[in-house]
Amino acid sequence: MYGWIWRHLPGNAWVRAFISLVLVLGVVYVLFQYVFPWAEPLLPFGDVTVDGASADTGAGGERGAAR
Amino acid sequence: MSRVRSRIAGVMSVLGELLITVGVVLGLFVVYSLWWTNVLADRESSRQADLMRDGWKGGGAAGPGALDTQDGVGFLHVPAMKNGEVLVKKGTDLKELNDGTAGYYTKPVKSALPWDAKGNFSLAAHRDGHGAKFHNIHKIKNGDPIVFETRDTWYVYKVYKSLPETSKYNVDVIDPVPKESGRTKAGRYITLTTCTPVFTSDYRYIVWGELVREVKVDKDRSKPAELR
Repeated sequence: MYGWIWRHLPGNAWVRAFISLVLVLGVVYVLFQYVFPWAEPLLPFGDVTVDGASADTGAGGERGAAR
Repeated sequence: MSRVRSRIAGVMSVLGELLITVGVVLGLFVVYSLWWTNVLADRESSRQADLMRDGWKGGGAAGPGALDTQDGVGFLHVPAMKNGEVLVKKGTDLKELNDGTAGYYTKPVKSALPWDAKGNFSLAAHRDGHGAKFHNIHKIKNGDPIVFETRDTWYVYKVYKSLPETSKYNVDVIDPVPKESGRTKAGRYITLTTCTPVFTSDYRYIVWGELVREVKVDKDRSKPAELR
């Protein structure tokens, strides 16, 4: 796969290496800017609040108000 | 025969490259979560903190729209966490906490504010990533001070109990009178919540404190003894 990309890049080895670097940086940029921010909330690593399930939330709110 | 073998070798090498790629991407995700989100969040929270401090200096007389503190109420100082000041804003939605701030609860149990006569000032912030403002919550011990700074007043709290692990469904911990901390009478409490163990959010870590005294902010904004 990467060999195929390498063979289809233009220029000599140095030019190919440079283009490869640019491609890698581009992929990293897209990952950090778009893919990871999208994926992160879907993963259970960043939940910090105490909170019931959505059904509980209403009940908790009511009870909090009643006190 | 050799053609079949080379076909198999080709498939295996593509598969291998894909697996390596997945590994590298997962590694990058760790870098993103634990480092890059901190960079972004620290930048954003210090920008908002500067805005709020500038607004305070102006005596709050800034015209409408001139000051965009986005519901900021003040700064939390916890010397035991060694993380300087944490901007506190309204609400505990991830979108807000991701700016590297702490938020006070509006649901499931509404938080009191420090200047209220009675109640529980309940806060949440990230343990890791996005500023990781409560990363060192496990270093807080009973008797440690928690100071909340507003424009005019320092509210000095003293920690009296920690709960190192509880269910995320345990909303009782942020009740106006947090019975689980052993208190039964209405008072002026503060509750810090975050996730635990570090790097995951299987459980919640809770720290409770109680108001000890209030100190008026003087014109030099000199810090109360607990922060010196």
